Amino acid sequence: MSRLSTLWVWAVFAFMYLPIAMIALFSVNDSKIMSLPFSGFTLKWYAEVMGDGRLGGGFLTTLSVAFPVAICATLLGGLAALAISFYPMRGRGIFAVLLLAPFLIPKLILAVAQLIMFNETGVARSLLTVIAAQTVIVLPFSTLVIASVLIRIDRGLLEAAADLGASGLSAFRRVVLPLMANGLMASWVVAFVLSSAEYVLTAFVSGRAQPLSVLVASDFRFALSPSLNALAVMIVFGNIALVALAELIRRRASKTGA
Amino acid sequence: MSLRVGTLLAAPVTAFLLALCVAPLLILFAYSFFRVDFVAISYDPSFANYAKIAGSATYRGLILKAFGSGALVVAITAVIGYPVAWFLAKRAGAMKSALLTLLLVPLYSGDLVRVFAWRVLLGAEGVINRSLIWAGVSDAPIQGLLFSPLATHIALTYNYLPFMVIGLWLAFESLDDAWLEAAADLGARSPSRFARVTLPLTFPGLVAGGLMVFVMVVGDYLTPQLLGGASGITVISAINDLFGTAFDWPLGSAIAWTMLAILMAFFAVGAMLIRRSSLVGGS
Repeated sequence: MSRLSTLWVWAVFAFMYLPIAMIALFSVNDSKIMSLPFSGFTLKWYAEVMGDGRLGGGFLTTLSVAFPVAICATLLGGLAALAISFYPMRGRGIFAVLLLAPFLIPKLILAVAQLIMFNETGVARSLLTVIAAQTVIVLPFSTLVIASVLIRIDRGLLEAAADLGASGLSAFRRVVLPLMANGLMASWVVAFVLSSAEYVLTAFVSGRAQPLSVLVASDFRFALSPSLNALAVMIVFGNIALVALAELIRRRASKTGA
Repeated sequence: MSLRVGTLLAAPVTAFLLALCVAPLLILFAYSFFRVDFVAISYDPSFANYAKIAGSATYRGLILKAFGSGALVVAITAVIGYPVAWFLAKRAGAMKSALLTLLLVPLYSGDLVRVFAWRVLLGAEGVINRSLIWAGVSDAPIQGLLFSPLATHIALTYNYLPFMVIGLWLAFESLDDAWLEAAADLGARSPSRFARVTLPLTFPGLVAGGLMVFVMVVGDYLTPQLLGGASGITVISAINDLFGTAFDWPLGSAIAWTMLAILMAFFAVGAMLIRRSSLVGGS
C-alpha cells in the first residue's frame, strides 16, 4: 500500500515535470525539428532570443508592468491580510468573498468586463490599465502569502506592547511590521512572477505596448521554433529562481515568527 | 476601537475591488440587455440576448461542453490527486514542505509556456509519437494526438492538478488519525474505513479542490484554443470572438453572465456541502 502510493507520487511528479524537462532538452538541441532523436548540443537558440530586439522590447515592457503590479498588490494585499487575520472587523466574511472573487471569475470574463468599462468611461488602454487589471488578478495570491505569515504571529505580542505603553500605531510599527516584512517580500516576488506570466487579461487591456507574453502568444500561433524553447526556459528558470527566493524568505519568516 | 482599525485597513482594498472587479461586472450585466444596431449599441433594454442563448443549440451545446469538461477534469484530478494528497499529509514526513513546493513550481512557468510544451510533446512528429514508433508500439504517428479533445484534457489535467492536491491536502492535514484507529478497533476493514471514515472526512477538501479546478477549466481560454484544434471552440472563446471579431458586445455579455450565474450556483451548493460535512466531521 505504502510502496504503491510512493510509486504513484513519483509518477505524478514526473508528469508535472515532463513538459518542463522537454522544453529544456530541446532548447539545447541542434535541430530545427523538435523531436527525437537528439542531434547534438547547441546554444544557438539562446543566442537567437538574446539577439531579438522585439523580444527584448517586450521583456522591458513586462518588467515595467510587473514591478508596479508587485508593489500595488503587496500594499493592498498587506492591508487586506491585516484586516482579515489580525484586526477584527465587521463584515469579514463578505470582505473575504470579495477578495477571492477575482480568483474565481474566469479571467476572460473579467477581461471583457474591464474592456467595456474602460471603453465606456473613455479610459485609453495603456500600461496603466494593464497594471490596474493585473493587480486585481494577483491580489488574492499576495493576500494569501502575507496572511500565511501573519497568522503565525503571536497576538500576545500586541498585548504585551500595549501593556508596556505602546500606542496601537507604534505597536504595529515596532512589533507587527518587522515580523510581517518577510511576508511582504515574498508577496512581492510571487506577484511579480504571476504578473509577468499573465496573458489573457494582458492581451485585452494592453494598448500598443505589448508585453512579452502577448508577443510570444502571437509567435507560436504561427510557428513553433526552438528559440521559443530557449525563451521559455529562461522564463521558467527566472521564475523558479524568484519563487525559490520567496520561499526562502517565507521559511525564515515562519521560523522567527513562531 | 480595533474593530474600526480592521474596517479602515480594508477600505482601500474594498474600493479598489469595487472599482476594478465589481463595477466592470455590473456594467457587463447592464450590457447584456442591450443590442447592436448595425455598428452602434442600442441602449434600450430587453431580454433578447438571453432568449437568443436559450434558443440556440450552438450556445447551449458550448455551455454544456464547458461544464462537461469541468466535471471530467475534476473527476480525473480527484482520482490522481487523492493518493498524492494523502501521501503529502500523512507519509511525507520531513519532505512534506519540499514536495509541496515542488508540486507548485510548474505553476509559475505561466500558461503559455506549459501549453507550448504540450505541443512539443503531443505533435504528430512530437516526442510521444516518436517514442511510440521507436518502441514499436505503433508504426505511424498517431495523428489525432494533438489538436484534439484528448490533448486539451491532458493539458487541463496537468494545469489544474496542483489545485486539487492542495484542497485535498488541507483536508488530510486536519484528519485526525485517531478516527481511523477507532474504526479499526471497532473491526472496520480497510475498504470500509476508507468509505466510512476517510472519504467523508476529506469530502470538504474534495469539494473545495473540485470547485477550484471546475471554475478554472470552465474559464480556460488558452488551452483549448491552442491544443484543441477544431474542437477548441469553447463558450469562453465564443465570448472572445463576440468581443473581438463579431463586435456583438451585448450578446457576449449575456453569455458571460449566463456562465457567471451558473458558476455562482455551483459555489453556493459547494459552500453548503462544505459547511454541512464539516459540521459532521468537526463534532
